[in-house]
Amino acid sequence: MTDQAQEIAQLDRMIHEPARLTIMLILDGVSEADFLYLQREGGFTQGNLSGHLTKLEDAGYVEIEKKFKGKVPLTLCRLTGAGKAAFAGYSQRMMGLLKGNGSAG
Amino acid sequence: MRDDSPAQTASYGRRAAAYWFVDGLPEILLGLVLVVFGALAMLWRIGGPGQLRRFDFAVFFAGIILYGSLGRRFLDFLKLRFTYPRTGYVQPPEEDEWRVETMTTLDLRHRPPARENVTSFHLRTELPIVFVAFLWSSDWSSGGSEIGRWYAPLATIALAAALYGLNRRSEHPYRWWPALILALVGLAFLWVDVPGPLRHPLPLLLAGLWLAVQGAYTLLHYLRANPQPQRAEGVKA
Repeated sequence: MTDQAQEIAQLDRMIHEPARLTIMLILDGVSEADFLYLQREGGFTQGNLSGHLTKLEDAGYVEIEKKFKGKVPLTLCRLTGAGKAAFAGYSQRMMGLLKGNGSAG
Repeated sequence: MRDDSPAQTASYGRRAAAYWFVDGLPEILLGLVLVVFGALAMLWRIGGPGQLRRFDFAVFFAGIILYGSLGRRFLDFLKLRFTYPRTGYVQPPEEDEWRVETMTTLDLRHRPPARENVTSFHLRTELPIVFVAFLWSSDWSSGGSEIGRWYAPLATIALAAALYGLNRRSEHPYRWWPALILALVGLAFLWVDVPGPLRHPLPLLLAGLWLAVQGAYTLLHYLRANPQPQRAEGVKA
């Protein structure tokens, strides 16, 4: 097994899935976002987003809070400390892989 | 016509930063405050009691202070009814959070520059307006000497240039031709004789009207593109 293959094997699969990577990318750039915003930005269906958010929440990467702003119910999602750290690690590993392969510079 | 909506920008972080402007509400609110309190200041100057007329700028600043203290809360109230049920809620990180990052690292994450945050509206749009308003108050402190008819055109053109120039590279640029219209309307006041005491609030009133019209256009466009959903969204997680 080459070093690169080992690096690829060590990628965080919880984040590596495209839909969850999209969710992590969106949440990494904001303090918090609600379900509808995530759904529209990521182009998800309601069920699809709900399923991926549940997985990310179970992994401890995303915190989901249901609350009211005024009388409007909002399902707020934000990255946890562990989520931020995991995403930073994933990001660096992926960039290292791409850079090592001459695909990013 | 160029579409400056967040959908045209690339990264999620920058889109989130631009989301604050997607409905035009910040411009409508600021614009209305400038128009209403600018007009009230003019009325005070015309019909206020005796020596107190000189405090017309204080009437205007009362509006600015009210906007500064309650504006954000009122905007949240409006966005809760117009924006969040239609396209969702997002809170970009506060600008200070970005400022502490001095080192740029190579990674997949999108780091919107500090200036692209929600507070850019304060720095790029509100600040030039407040600066012009301070010229008004400094005139009072220097004895309230009457200003020349050149003031309103010059200040309006400067405001148009500042609002266009400062926002040009932001997530929320103003188009060049509305800025040109504002400058030309200001210039027209070289030939329209406005009574001396009313020359100070005039550029602020024009800028307010300009902002409110642009905000209204954005809001109409937004409401048409995003009709009210039938039921509230929610996660089953």
